[in-house]
Amino acid sequence: MSEPDRGAFIFQDPHGRRWPRLRRVLVVGLLLVAVAVVWFFRTLLTHPELKTPASVVPLKKQLKAAINRTEQDDPNAINWQRYYSESKSAQDRLDKIKRQLGKTPDPKGEIRLGYYVEWDPNSRASLEDHASSLTHLAPEWFSLQGTDSRLIVEPNPHLVSFASAHHLTLMPLLENLQGNTWQPEAVENLANGTADKRSRFIRDLLAQLRSMKAGGVIIDWQQLDPAYRDNYSDFLQQISDALQKAGMELWFSVAPGEDFKTFNIFGDPDAQPGVKSNRPALETFVNRFVVMLHDENSETDAPGPIASQPWLEGWLKVIVQYADPDQWIGVLGAYAYDWNTTTKKTETITFKDAMSRASYAGVDATGEKTETGPPRFNGQYQYSEPSGEHTVSFLDAISFYNHLRVVRAAEFGGIGITRLGTEDPQIWDVMELKGLPTPSVLKALGAIKAGDSITNVGRGEIVTVDTSREDGARVVTIDSTRLPPTRPDDPFEATLAEVHKSLLRANYTDFATYPILYHQGAGGEHEVAITFDDGPDPEWTPKILDILRAKGVKACFFLLGSNCEDYPGLVQRIVAEGHEIGNHTYSHRNLAVMSEWQMELELTATQRLIESITGRSTTLFRPPYNADSNPTDIAELAPLRLAQEQLGYTVVLEKIDPQDWARPGTEEIIQRVRDLRNEGNIILLHDAGGDRSETVAALPRIIDYLHTRGDRIVSLSELLGMTRDELMPPIDASHQPLERFVAGTGFRAWHGIVGFFWAFMIFSTGLVVARTLLVAWLAHRHHRTGIDSTAAFQPSVSVVIAAFNEGKVIQKTLRSVLGTDYAGEMEVIVVNDGSRDDTAAKIGEFAATEPRLRLVRQENRGKAAALRNAVAQSRHEIIVFLDADTLFQPCTIGALVQPLAHPLVGAVSGNARVGNLRTFIARFQSLEYICGFNLDRRAYTEWNCITVVPGAISALRRSAISAAGGFSDDTLAEDTDLTLTLHRLGYHIEYAPDAVAWTEAPESYSGLAKQRFRWAFGTMQCLWKHRDLVFNPRFGALGWFSLPNIWFMQIGLVAVTPLVDGILLWSLLFGHMAGVWYWFAIVLGLDLFLAALACRMDGERLHKAFLILPMRFIYRPLLAWVIWRSIFRAFKGAFVAWGKLERTASVPSRA
Amino acid sequence: MRFRFGTFIAIAAASLLVACDPSSTPPSAGTPPPSPAQPQAASTPVPANPLQRLAIPQHGIYTGAYIDWGDKEDTVTLEAIEKFETMVGKHQAIVASSSYWGEQSFPDDNLRLITRHGSVPLVFWSPWDKPYVEGRGPDKYSLTSIIAGEHDAYIDMWAEKARAFGSPLIVSFANEMNGEWFPWSGKLYGGSTPIPGSKPVHFQGPETFKKAYRHVVDRVRAKGATNVQWVLHLMNYSLPQEGWNLAAEYYPGPDYCDWLGFSLYGAQFADDDWTQFFPLLDWPYEELRRIDATKPVMVCEWAVGEFPTLGSKSDWLRDAFRLFKSPKYPNIKACVYWHERWENDDGRYSNLHVNSTPDALESYRQGVADPTYLDHPIVEPTK
Repeated sequence: MSEPDRGAFIFQDPHGRRWPRLRRVLVVGLLLVAVAVVWFFRTLLTHPELKTPASVVPLKKQLKAAINRTEQDDPNAINWQRYYSESKSAQDRLDKIKRQLGKTPDPKGEIRLGYYVEWDPNSRASLEDHASSLTHLAPEWFSLQGTDSRLIVEPNPHLVSFASAHHLTLMPLLENLQGNTWQPEAVENLANGTADKRSRFIRDLLAQLRSMKAGGVIIDWQQLDPAYRDNYSDFLQQISDALQKAGMELWFSVAPGEDFKTFNIFGDPDAQPGVKSNRPALETFVNRFVVMLHDENSETDAPGPIASQPWLEGWLKVIVQYADPDQWIGVLGAYAYDWNTTTKKTETITFKDAMSRASYAGVDATGEKTETGPPRFNGQYQYSEPSGEHTVSFLDAISFYNHLRVVRAAEFGGIGITRLGTEDPQIWDVMELKGLPTPSVLKALGAIKAGDSITNVGRGEIVTVDTSREDGARVVTIDSTRLPPTRPDDPFEATLAEVHKSLLRANYTDFATYPILYHQGAGGEHEVAITFDDGPDPEWTPKILDILRAKGVKACFFLLGSNCEDYPGLVQRIVAEGHEIGNHTYSHRNLAVMSEWQMELELTATQRLIESITGRSTTLFRPPYNADSNPTDIAELAPLRLAQEQLGYTVVLEKIDPQDWARPGTEEIIQRVRDLRNEGNIILLHDAGGDRSETVAALPRIIDYLHTRGDRIVSLSELLGMTRDELMPPIDASHQPLERFVAGTGFRAWHGIVGFFWAFMIFSTGLVVARTLLVAWLAHRHHRTGIDSTAAFQPSVSVVIAAFNEGKVIQKTLRSVLGTDYAGEMEVIVVNDGSRDDTAAKIGEFAATEPRLRLVRQENRGKAAALRNAVAQSRHEIIVFLDADTLFQPCTIGALVQPLAHPLVGAVSGNARVGNLRTFIARFQSLEYICGFNLDRRAYTEWNCITVVPGAISALRRSAISAAGGFSDDTLAEDTDLTLTLHRLGYHIEYAPDAVAWTEAPESYSGLAKQRFRWAFGTMQCLWKHRDLVFNPRFGALGWFSLPNIWFMQIGLVAVTPLVDGILLWSLLFGHMAGVWYWFAIVLGLDLFLAALACRMDGERLHKAFLILPMRFIYRPLLAWVIWRSIFRAFKGAFVAWGKLERTASVPSRA
Repeated sequence: MRFRFGTFIAIAAASLLVACDPSSTPPSAGTPPPSPAQPQAASTPVPANPLQRLAIPQHGIYTGAYIDWGDKEDTVTLEAIEKFETMVGKHQAIVASSSYWGEQSFPDDNLRLITRHGSVPLVFWSPWDKPYVEGRGPDKYSLTSIIAGEHDAYIDMWAEKARAFGSPLIVSFANEMNGEWFPWSGKLYGGSTPIPGSKPVHFQGPETFKKAYRHVVDRVRAKGATNVQWVLHLMNYSLPQEGWNLAAEYYPGPDYCDWLGFSLYGAQFADDDWTQFFPLLDWPYEELRRIDATKPVMVCEWAVGEFPTLGSKSDWLRDAFRLFKSPKYPNIKACVYWHERWENDDGRYSNLHVNSTPDALESYRQGVADPTYLDHPIVEPTK
C-alpha cells in the first residue's frame, strides 16, 4: 500500500526515532522476561533440601543385633518319642522295614512338590526359574468354608497352562481355611452330614479338578475334632474312590503327631494310642501322605527351631517304623520366622529377608556365631528395633541339604518344598547334588549371592528404601559331630548314623544384603489414617473437608501440583483446618517411565507451589499409581529412592485401597474398607479426578465404622510419632530465600496472568452479549419504523466519483449511475486521479455522449485530494459519493437523498452490498456487509452514532463538507474522518437501507488483507485523531457507544483472537482450561444470532447466516493479523508526530 | 466359662424334675404371644451425661452373646460381632466379655466398641491373677484381700472409668461363686463352717463372698458410677449342692443387685451325659424367684456342646428358646449365649458354637428370630 508522505499524517514519525527506541525497550523487556522464566524453572529444579524428620530415617539405624540368649529347651523336639513304640507289633513292622530298606526306589523317581501361593510375586518368579526341578505343584486353590461347608475355588488359568507346558502335575490344596482362620466345622459338618451333601461336594470337587487338568488333590484339614474320626475315614474313602475312578490321586497332608490319631492313618493301635477304630487305616486307600516336616515351632509358639534335625529325624523314625515310606512325601521347610517377642507378633519371612535383617542389624559384626550346625542345624539370631525384641529362625540350603539326606535315606517317595519364593536359592543346587559335596561345591554353597529381590523389614506403609546390595558368605563344612542314636537296634538308626557322618554345617561370617524396604508407621492396632490423593478439586475437596471437620478427623491430602496451582485457596484451607499435605507430583504421570530430572521437576515444582501457598514445606510423598502394592521389582524402587535420598521425602504407601476412583458404588467402597481394614492402617481415597460423589457419601460412614470398631483416626504425623511441624516444616526465612522468592513470584505472576485472562474473558463476554442485544434491539426498531423512500424530496444532486486506474469498471459504474430513475436534476463528476491506464479514455468516450457527465483530470494526489477537487467542481448542495467500482440501482440515488430533506442531516450512508459472489472470500464479505456494517448502521442511526459514511455510497451536504474543512489527507480513512468531524459539528448522520449499491469485494486473501489493512489503519488514525470524542458527554451515543465499540470490539477483541484461538487449540489437545469453550460457544452463538437477524432484515436467505461459523475461523485470524500489522505500523511512526496530532485534532472544531 | 462339674449336679437335679417339663403342654395354647418387643428403634446409647442404664423391658427378653474372645475373654472385635450377628440373623442387645483383675485395667476400648455398635456390654469382672487357670485356689486377689481393702485403688480406678464411660454397663462380679472351680468360690473361704452366734445360721464361705461383693459394689457406687447395673451371677446348680452353698446364701441383699443371674450349660464334654434343657432352667429359676421375685433374671451364660452321639443340639437350642419365653418364667429378661469352641487336653473339642452344625445354627436362628428376643437395648437415664 502506498504511504502518503504528508507531514500531518496521523502516526507518522518523520524523524524515525520512535521505532528504534521502542524496539530497544521491547528487546530489553523480552530479555528480562526470558531470564525470569529461566530462573523460575531453575528454582523448580533446585531441591528444597528437606530435612527428613528424625524418626523416619533411622529405622535402619535402630536395628541392633542382640546377643544370643542362652538357648532354651526346645519343648517340641521330643514330641515324636510318644509315638516311637517299643511294642511287639512294632518289632514285626521293623522287620518289614528292614526288607523295605533293601528294596530299590520307585523307578518313577523322586516326587518334588512345590508349594505355590498366588499373592506373592516371588513365588511366581521362583516357579519360573525352577519349574524343571519340580514334578508336582501345590497351589492353594480350594477351601472349605462356613457352617454349610461351601467349596470355594480360586484357580489361576495361567498356572494351569504353565504347569502343562512344563510337565508339572497340579495337585491343588484343599484346606479348611478362611483368611487366617481354620474352619473345623466346615469339614466336620460335611463328614457328619448327609450322604447326599458329601456326594454333591465330591462331584463339584471332581469337576473342578478335571477342568484344571489336575493330577489329584492334596487335602489339608486342620483343627478337626478327633471325635468324628470314623466319619472322616468314610468320607476320605469316598473321595479316594471317586478320584481313583477319575484317574486322579488323593494325597493327604499330615502334621506329624495328633493327626496320626485324628485321621486313623496307620490303623495300628500301638502307633495311635487311644485309637480304637473299626475303619480301615487311611494308608490303605490314600495315595500319598504329605507330611509337614517343618513348624516344629510355629508362629503361635515361642521362638525356636522351625525344623531341628533331631526333631525331623525323630518323626522320620516314627513314620518309617509304621509305614511304607514310599507312600510318604516329606515336606521340607524353606522359609524363616521373625518372632517379635515384645509384641507377640510373628512374621513368616523369606530366607533373604532373614539375611537382610541380620545384615542391617549387624548380627555378623557382634562376634557371636550364627550357624546352621549341631545339634539343631537351624539358623537363629536375635535383634532389636524400636518396637521390640526379635528372634529370627531360618532354614537355608544347608539345613535343606541335611533334611534332604535323611528323607532320602528313609526312602520316602519324594519331597515337598514349602514354599516357592521364600527359599534360599541354593536349595535348587543342593537338590541336584550327587554323592558327597566336593570342596568346590562347599565353596559354592558358601557364597550367598545378593540379587535384585526386594526384602522387607518392619511394619507399616511408610517406607524408606535402601537399594544397596552385597554378597554374603558362610563357611560350609562337613560336620563331624554325631547326633546320638535313640535306639541302636532300629536298623533305620544305622542308616541315619551313616548319614550323620557327613551332614553339612554353615557358619555365617557375612550376611548378604539385599535391596530393602523399611516399613514404619504401623502404629497401634487401633490406629488408622485416612489419605486423599489427586486433589484439590473445587467441587469435592470442600465437601470432604466439611465432613472431616464435622467428624473432627484429621487426614492427609496428597496434592497434585497442577491442582494446587488452580485452587490455592483450597490448599490453604486444607492446611488451615489442621490436615496434612503431601506431594503427589505435579501432573500424576507414571514415575517409572520418567527420567530423573523430569521427576525432580514434578516434585520440586509441586513443593515450591505448596511452599508459596502455605508457607510450609511437606516431607511426605506418595508416588502416583500402585501405592498399594509393595514394590517387588527393583525398577519400582528407583523413583522412591530418588524421592527419598536426593529430595529428602518420606514415602507413604497404603494398604487399604477401596479403589473409589473406579466408582464401584458407595456400599462397595465401605465394604472394601471393612474387608481390608486388617491388612494395614492407611486408607486411600480420592478427592479429585472425576465424580467423587460416592467417596463423599462413603466417607462419613467409613469414619463411623472405624470409630465403632474402636479405631482412632490419626494423622500421619501421629502414626510416625512426630509433630505436624516436623512433617510439614514452616518455611525458615533464611533457607533458600531467593529460590523461594523467585518461585513464588513466578507462580504469582502466572496466576495474575491466568486470572486476568479469565476476568477479561468474562468481561468481554458480558460486553459482547450486551452489545449484541442492544444492536439487535435498535436495528429491529429501525427496521420496524421503516423509511418512506418514495417521498418526494428530489433536490439537485452532484454525483462524485474518484477514479484511479479503474479502466475495467468505470464504464459499468457510470452506466449504473446515469441509468438512475432519479427525477431531480443530476450531474456526474469523475475525477481521474492521474490513472496510468485507460480510465481517462473510457470516461471520455462516455462524456462525449452524456452531457450530465464531466471529467476532471488531476495529477495523482490521492483519493482525498481527488474528492476535494470533485467537491470544488460540483454545482449542487447535495453531493452523492460513490466508488468507481460500485454499481447503483435505479432507485439508489432517490432513496439515498431522502433523509437530507431534514436540514440537520449532514450525511447519509447507503447500503453497500457485495456484488461479486464468485469466491468464498467474497461471499464472506457479503455476509459481513449485511450483518456487520449494515446492521450496525441500522442500529446506530437510531441513536445518531454512525461512525462512518462509506465512500462507496453516501450523500453529503456540500455546506457540511466545507464546514468540516473538506476531505483531509491526514488519515487513510477520509470517510470516517469526515463523518466524525460532521458529528462534532452537530450534524445528524442517517442511514438509508434502501439505497443499495453493489460494490466489488476483493476476491483474494491478499486483496482483502490490503483493503482491510487500509481500513484498519485508517480507522485507528481516525480514532486517535478524534479520541477526545470518546466518553465525551456532548456526543452521547457516539462517545459512549459506537466509538468505544470500535476500540473494544473491532480492535481489542480482534487483536486477542489469536491468543484465544491458541488456548482453544491447547484445550483441545490437552484438555486444560476448558472454560474457554463456554466463551467460544457464547460468542459464536451471538454471531450467529446477529447474522440471522441481519439476513432477515436485508431480505437474504437465512441459511446464509451459517457462513458465520466457518468465517470465524478463516476471517478472524486475517482481521487479527491486519489489526496487529496496523498497530505495529502505528508504533513505527514517530514520537514527534504525536504532539502534532494534538494540534490537528483541534482544527475541525475551530472551523 | 469352662467348667466340668456343674452339669454333673445338673443331671442329678434334672432326673428329679424332668417329669414336670412344661413343654409337654402345647406352648401356644393359652399363651398369648408376647406383645412384640419395643420397636427396634431403641437408639444407640451415647456416652454422655446424664448417665444411662439398661431398662428392664416390660415385654421381651434381651438376646446377647459372648463370642470367642480368646484366652482372656477380652479381645473384642467389631468384625466378630458383626459376623456372629449375620450368622444368627439378629443384632445383639448384649455383648459379653471379661475384665480380669490380673490385667489391672478397665476395658475401655471393648466397652466403647460394644456401645458404639449399639449393644450393652456385660462384663465378667473376675478377681483372679495370671495364669488364669481354674482350680488353682485363691491368689493375690482373694476375697479376703478385697475385704481388707488391698485393691481399693484398683476398684476406684475401675469405677471412675466406668463412670466416665457413662453408658449402660452390666457387671457380673465374681461369677459362679457357688461352684468350686474359681478362686472366689465360697467353698474355698470356709465353706460350710457356721458363723458362731449367727441366727439363722450363716456360713463362712457365702458370708465372705457377700462381704467382698458389697465392698466392691459400695466402692464403685461411691464413685458415682450409677450407669453400672449389678448382676449376682450364680451357677444354675451349686457344687456342692448343699444347703450352705445354695443361691440364697450368696444373696447380698436387694440393694446390691439389679439382676439375678446364672450360667446354664448342657453337655460340654464328650464324656458328659446329655441333659434336657428344661431341668437346667426350671429349678434354678425357682430358686432365684424364691430369693427375690421382683428382680429380673438374666441367663448370663448358656450353651451346649455338639455331641451328636449324646443328643441333639438343635433340639436343645429349640427347647431353650421356647422355654425362656414361656409364661412360666416371666422374670427372665435377658439370655446371653456362650459362643466358643475349644480344644481339650485329650485333643478332643468342645464345640459350643451356635454353628457347630447347620441344624444347630438353623435352630438358633429360628429360635432367636422370635420378636420376644429383643435385638436392641432399651436405654433410660439413671435414677
